[in-house]
Amino acid sequence: MLTLRSQSGSRQACVVVLLACTSFIGATQAIGAQLPLHARIDALIEAGAKGQPMATAAEDAEFLRRVYLDFTGSIPSADVAEKFFADQNGDKRSKLIHELASGDSFSQRLADLFHIMLMERRGDSASWQQYLLASFKANKPWNQLAQEILSPDARNEQTRASAFFYTRRLEKVGEQETDYPGLTRDVGRLFLGIDLQCAQCHNHLTVDDYKQADFQGLFAFYQNIAIHSSEFPAIAEKPTVKKIEFASVFNKKPKETGPRVPTLPEEREIAIPVFEKGKEFMMPADTKTKLPGVLAFSPLEQLSKQLPTAENGAFARNMANRLWFLMMGRGLVDPLDLHHSGNPPSHPQLLELLAKEFAAHGYDVKWMIRELALTKTYQRSSILPSGSEPKVDRFTVALERRLSYEQLLQSMLTASGQLDMVMTKDRAGDKPLPAYEDLRKKFAASFAAETKEAEVHVDHTLKAALFVRNDVAFLALLQPRAGNLIQKLLDEKDDAKLAHQLYLSVLTRKPLPEETAAVAAFLKSYGEQRATATRDLAWALLTSSEFMVNH
Amino acid sequence: MMQSDAKLQTSQPKEVGKPTLTSQQIGCLRFSPCGQLLAAGDYNGHVQLWRVSDAGLAAVPPLTGKHNGFVDAIAFAPKEQLLFTADTWGRLSCWDYALWLKDDAPAADAIKPRWSIDAAHDGYIRSVLVSADGKHLATCGRDQIVRLWSTDGKLKFELKEHREDVYALAFSPDSLLLASGNLKGAIHLHTAQDGKHQKQLDATSLYKYDRIQDVGGARVLTFARDGQSLYCGGAMPSGGGFVQATPKLLRFDCKTGKLEKEWTLGDPAHGFVYEIIEHTTGELLLITSGQPGQGRFMLLNPDEKEPGFINTKMANCHAMTLHPGGHRIAIAATNGGSNANGRDSALKNGEYTGNHSPIHLWDLPSSAE
Amino acid sequence: MQHKRNSSSLCTPHEHALSRRVMLGTMAGGAASMAFGGLATPAVAEALRQKEKQVLFIWLDGGISQLESWDPKPNTSFGGPFRSVPTSVKGVHFCELMQRTAKHMDKLAVIRSLCTHDNAHSSGVARIQRGDPKNRGVVYPYLGSAFAKLLGPTSSKLPPYVWIKPGSGGFKAEHAGFLGPKYGALAFGDGQPPDNLLRHESISEEADTQRNELREAINRRYAVQRRKVSTEASTAVFDTAQQLMKRQDLFDATTFSAADIQRYGTHDLGRHTLIARKMLEAGVRFVNVTSYGWDTHGDHFNGSASLIPKFDQAFSAIIEDLHASGMLENVLVVAISEFGRTPRINGHIGRDHWPEAWSTVMAGCGIKRGIVSGSTNEQGTWVKDNPYDIGHVFHTMFKALGIDSIDTEYDNGGQPLPIAHEDMQSITEVLA
Repeated sequence: MLTLRSQSGSRQACVVVLLACTSFIGATQAIGAQLPLHARIDALIEAGAKGQPMATAAEDAEFLRRVYLDFTGSIPSADVAEKFFADQNGDKRSKLIHELASGDSFSQRLADLFHIMLMERRGDSASWQQYLLASFKANKPWNQLAQEILSPDARNEQTRASAFFYTRRLEKVGEQETDYPGLTRDVGRLFLGIDLQCAQCHNHLTVDDYKQADFQGLFAFYQNIAIHSSEFPAIAEKPTVKKIEFASVFNKKPKETGPRVPTLPEEREIAIPVFEKGKEFMMPADTKTKLPGVLAFSPLEQLSKQLPTAENGAFARNMANRLWFLMMGRGLVDPLDLHHSGNPPSHPQLLELLAKEFAAHGYDVKWMIRELALTKTYQRSSILPSGSEPKVDRFTVALERRLSYEQLLQSMLTASGQLDMVMTKDRAGDKPLPAYEDLRKKFAASFAAETKEAEVHVDHTLKAALFVRNDVAFLALLQPRAGNLIQKLLDEKDDAKLAHQLYLSVLTRKPLPEETAAVAAFLKSYGEQRATATRDLAWALLTSSEFMVNH
Repeated sequence: MMQSDAKLQTSQPKEVGKPTLTSQQIGCLRFSPCGQLLAAGDYNGHVQLWRVSDAGLAAVPPLTGKHNGFVDAIAFAPKEQLLFTADTWGRLSCWDYALWLKDDAPAADAIKPRWSIDAAHDGYIRSVLVSADGKHLATCGRDQIVRLWSTDGKLKFELKEHREDVYALAFSPDSLLLASGNLKGAIHLHTAQDGKHQKQLDATSLYKYDRIQDVGGARVLTFARDGQSLYCGGAMPSGGGFVQATPKLLRFDCKTGKLEKEWTLGDPAHGFVYEIIEHTTGELLLITSGQPGQGRFMLLNPDEKEPGFINTKMANCHAMTLHPGGHRIAIAATNGGSNANGRDSALKNGEYTGNHSPIHLWDLPSSAE
Repeated sequence: MQHKRNSSSLCTPHEHALSRRVMLGTMAGGAASMAFGGLATPAVAEALRQKEKQVLFIWLDGGISQLESWDPKPNTSFGGPFRSVPTSVKGVHFCELMQRTAKHMDKLAVIRSLCTHDNAHSSGVARIQRGDPKNRGVVYPYLGSAFAKLLGPTSSKLPPYVWIKPGSGGFKAEHAGFLGPKYGALAFGDGQPPDNLLRHESISEEADTQRNELREAINRRYAVQRRKVSTEASTAVFDTAQQLMKRQDLFDATTFSAADIQRYGTHDLGRHTLIARKMLEAGVRFVNVTSYGWDTHGDHFNGSASLIPKFDQAFSAIIEDLHASGMLENVLVVAISEFGRTPRINGHIGRDHWPEAWSTVMAGCGIKRGIVSGSTNEQGTWVKDNPYDIGHVFHTMFKALGIDSIDTEYDNGGQPLPIAHEDMQSITEVLA
């Protein structure tokens, strides 16, 4: 059985400390229950710094760009940036965070993030992506979302697209067998943070916590599912009547298991009821409506009842860790799908706290991300406090994070003042222009991770380099058009103002004096060909490291 | 076409006795015209021999040391008591086998060929055949040439139209035409008497270029008994490497050279058609061999789309011959479990042994008049 | 496929060698996960970089039959139908399917006594190309990535590890293992250039240079106070892009003479080997030419009759050309598969996988000429003397290029790792 350490002992300690705390007003290093979560997070990070120097707080520019990318999926426009820098309010940062956290773009951003995380570039599906968007617009809690994905309901029009998680993975590739083991593995990785790949045929060779029984128990939920032919993604379950038999290829001792969530105790293995023939289905398959049957005993339904629960600590820990990763650039447990006792979190208490609070707040993803954004940890600069490389697992410096192709595209369009490319002129039907679709596909081809790869690391590729250098659709962004950045720059005769506009639009900050000088020098060197110079200035900034990562 | 107007029921052959075990893998199998001898060429350069009786097959000492590589092609002359054997190093030999049927048959190592040509071809001889009138001997092979000889070993003609590895030969029943088929599915017709090229037929559906491999070919040819059509057997390859190929049979009109009919005889695991024999009943006997373990013996009524008899119990059937009596068929198949990767399945009783070809005997029931 | 499946899609033995660090998630040092492995002694690195040695690695995927190529056993029970031919070295014969290469045996070193452990493609391919070192819980780099790290690019600055293969191209980071994606393979599918290789017409060469310089200046400013990892990688790929863009001719098939095209063969392997010659001439450090489809479990002799002469044609042509131009002095040539094929002939008239006794061939830089090392028994079933594992071959290849295969180590975030199997050594017999 997979056991992970729980911190039940610390609760009592918490209460004691709290009592001690209340007699002190002001800063304290203790983890008091009264402090907001983000403060408690910072206290733990600071306590765990292990002598590593802390970076300073990010400057406005760094902060603004980062928070816009994380909450809206795009850099802010120059106007927004200008306004924010001018704002003298002391709490403008928290205000902005609260504002963005309740905005529409945040829902779209989360839909994109979860699409990338759950499907790992296995392709798109309009209904699935709309389902995610609708879910986040309604601030659907993660446990409910997980339930709907783990046990899709073909009769619920609002949620049935959740089946795509399964159907895409069940599609046959050529002559290969349907990849049930791959599906099992992904459920473990993405919902529980455990990669049971190497525990299918024997106990895991290097991770003691992962047993073959864990894999087989999870696999038992999936042994009888298949894609169900329909106009929409759907799966069908055939009756499960017996346990799975398995044996290690090493000792060949025969064993068996019914469906079991691997991170729950063995006693929670689900008993398989016996039905009279013909009584296995609560609702038969309907050939007219093409709806699949519903089993009286549905393993997937059982899974959706057991896995995303408070009892299953791994469920909260997994997502808490992943949300931390999204905002901070590295999981507390790293890699994200390898929670086990030999791979402890960098900050065990912190992870417990996050998991606990996440569950206590009804698995509210938006709330969690907002709290993370409010931390000092999140708001630190990525500029190194000293010459040496930091220990990344201390979170004393902000880490650079990968930008998805979605973020890059939106940001490029925002920076170059061409968001209107996305919509038709009359905005009827919100249909993207063909040129946009073409561009989107090219961005996806150049910047997205390989299919089935977790898109987690910053990755510079030759393909992307050649794309930004030579691709006609990309370079078209740098052509002057009424109202776009290039046109504005061309109309600007004052070099310093040009530099200002350029840097603000593209890098979301004001240029340093030497940068303004460099821009002027560049323009001057081109003489008559100012237009070319302008275009190339913009190109250089748009393709720079500073633009292409989230720092 | 068919001998009678009545609709033909497909015969249902029955296997006779247990298979005769051999120690080698067999590439070709033929009954002598007198029906007393069964000869086979094997992968060790031997010619295996059996005396044939109603009881079955009785092994006699094989010809060893007479050939190199594989003996992959043999043919009996129809009238003279001669056996022609050819190997994959290019040697063609002619044997007076009548001596072997006598009780005072010479010892195997004392047997000498009537004549032998070491370099009848440059390398792999794939097919050897004698015309029904006994006048023409034909050979073909990897050197891309078809050669016509007299049965006393004199080269008469070299046919060089193929420019590809030549796999198959067939003489028309009237001995006038020689058909030859190659790796890329081209079939050439020549007149045997003068070696003149007459026609080219297109069996290229039996060929595929996969990655850098030429796969398939016109593997076996036989004329229909009335001489009006030519059957060509092979497969539609799905791909090279371990070769998945769907067995296929084509029938061409000899006069027009056009494809008349075709049959798909299985799925990609089933492999190539290795032999086609047209029985006096008009039915076609066919064997196929594909993936290890996959072998089929079929009877096909040419008026039908599907075979009326399919037996799948013999693994990898590579050679078949019909007894001149018209009732008995011998099929050289392969032992089961013939394939294995690596060390674990290599050794049997501590030894690394090869595979072998059991010979199965089948009987066709007497045809009703 | 006919392989026994006692495991399923997830349980491929090579996965068992997955990075222990990845498995356990423990971090060595403070470096980013999958940090770019360094060389233990920078001085060694610099010395090696001076020498401009190159490698041509021909990979025949699926397992070429040693019995139908380098180690024929005509007229034995498993010898198959083909004859053998004498080579330009007395007493050494090849199968008749390799007549052209036979003429060049005097330049080659043939190892006939390879005995390795993996008879599965899925794991065997990676094991052979990684040198199957002792399991240290890390994913070792493929040979090309190893050389990309050990020797780096030549002064041509072209990408050090180029892979010419049928099918798709792109950047294959996974070849680099723990060394990090920077050392992955740059694959040119069918020798085609990557997308967007051509500088767009709207940009003059001068403008292209200037805008890139500007970009680099901006990056340098950004990188000053930030972690190195990101900007290094970004600069590296832009540099590579730059170099490739300057060499459009590398992808221009019209630059080959008709005579060359005929000599090498118009089939994929021939064309790709010819492209490889051009890549080597241009200064690419390591060129991998891969041919697929050699797994002749069925119709093997006909398959070999079609496949092997094509390899023979391309291989003999490039050996001839490298020799004639003098490049063979500095280019190490290796031709290998993941295993050989069984002596036993199966029912599909095929040969199955046989890692127990098989062959490989090397030529060129640091390799003795006209020599056969090791032998198999009369039937070709087992190695008779001097069994060598792929680790020995890796030691030999490194040594041939002047790299001390014993003392040189990788530095994987503080973990020193041998570059070849630490219990093996080079095959001195084949070293010049």
